[in-house]
Amino acid sequence: MSDPSPYPPPKGHRPYFFDDPAIDQLHTALLAVTQELSVARERIDTLERLLEQSGHLRRAAIETFQPDASAEAERTVQRAALVDRVLKPFVDYRENLFSRKRGQA
Amino acid sequence: MSDFTQHGMVPQVTHDERARQSFVKTFRAHLSGKVMPGNYQVFQKRVVPRFQAQHGRPPEDERELRAVMTQDPYYQFWSAMQRRSQEMLWESVIDPTERQLPELIQRAKQLADRKRGKGQAGSLHLDPDVAVPRYHAAADIHLQPGGYHTDFVADDVAAGVVYDKGINLYMGGALGPENNAMGDLLVTYFREKYPARQPKRILDMGCAIGNSTVVWARAFPQAEVHGIDVGAPVLRYAHARAESMNVPVHFRQANAEDTKLPAGSFDLIISHIMLHETSKSAIVNVMRESLRLLAPNGLMLHLEIPRGDDLMEQFMHNWESYNNNETFARYMTGLDLKAVAVKGGFVPAKTRVDHYSPGYDVAKTNYSESFIWKILVGEK
Repeated sequence: MSDPSPYPPPKGHRPYFFDDPAIDQLHTALLAVTQELSVARERIDTLERLLEQSGHLRRAAIETFQPDASAEAERTVQRAALVDRVLKPFVDYRENLFSRKRGQA
Repeated sequence: MSDFTQHGMVPQVTHDERARQSFVKTFRAHLSGKVMPGNYQVFQKRVVPRFQAQHGRPPEDERELRAVMTQDPYYQFWSAMQRRSQEMLWESVIDPTERQLPELIQRAKQLADRKRGKGQAGSLHLDPDVAVPRYHAAADIHLQPGGYHTDFVADDVAAGVVYDKGINLYMGGALGPENNAMGDLLVTYFREKYPARQPKRILDMGCAIGNSTVVWARAFPQAEVHGIDVGAPVLRYAHARAESMNVPVHFRQANAEDTKLPAGSFDLIISHIMLHETSKSAIVNVMRESLRLLAPNGLMLHLEIPRGDDLMEQFMHNWESYNNNETFARYMTGLDLKAVAVKGGFVPAKTRVDHYSPGYDVAKTNYSESFIWKILVGEK
């Protein structure tokens, strides 16, 4: 979706440390996810602090918040969508195997 | 709260850009403080005993150690993380720089064109005829895309913007809010060892963004301070940065191997971790050129980083050579810097290598728990 990076990767050989480069790639992806989680948590923290400063929120109220039935239902849908996105490569892999077999048949 | 001075050439960062940079910094501190030391345990408890059982002796040289360490899963895990952290470091700084590049270039021009009183203004002299040496062009040093020398657009300053914040993150802030620690260290050393000297003309070789050059210019306001580098974008940035700090420095695009500057024109020549970015032949040329540029009784001080005191430390420091495009650094392991200076023409009796330890926190050193600087000293 976003534009390709305007700057090239660094010039020079890119080493891989494990026998299977896929393991290096998994580390790389895991770190990107961790970084984005860290960024998102920091944004939430900013929001909470700003809301508290402006008198719109007591942060202690977050800990005792009980979602009602409809909020819980919406969250369940959101959670499932997230799991779908994260595990998409595995689903794609399976579908790819399946469709190739079907194509060959 | 910031450990990075907001001088006139620092790009703005959005909330999430700052959070990404903070993550890189925290993650690297975790790697160096908690993960990296495990390599030394793995070496002692797993790699050496296994090698000993097979060969009846411990590994004797770096080649032997490299062959077994690089097969160890813990070392592989740390390496993959360390490499990725370096890539993330640049990405986190490049994003805000790219977003604001036209404005940063404009700011640099305004700072460069500002009217200043006589003796208060620095200068910038770029020379497109200066060839980028192979030791910079072959691979991007420290994985910074484009290295010190690439102009991606006209009047580019991006390499400097990115390098400034990048080395702040690389050292976890240990270089000080203006990346001033190396300049401070060498100024302190100079004042301690040569209290009678009052330098009039100082040359900082391989100055990049002038972070150390500015320290010298502040410490010796009566001196005329020059900085040279092969990279045009870092020099444009260095000049604008120094001007925004109101520190007069004269920046010039030149190769320290052959500066084209007049012989005998400096009484003090310095460099800050430049030598390990050169080559086997270039390092000797730099010595020869330093000697030529020095006035009679002039002094050169080249600051260098440690390369490890034992086999395992050396192997760990050389990680940078194999995995962070520090191509030449590993050839400096065990290199007799004094002999290099003598080969360049310095008299043995007036040449020496001193050691200095600032006592960094282990969480701020990347490859070994001890960090002892070297200073190559030569008098003409």
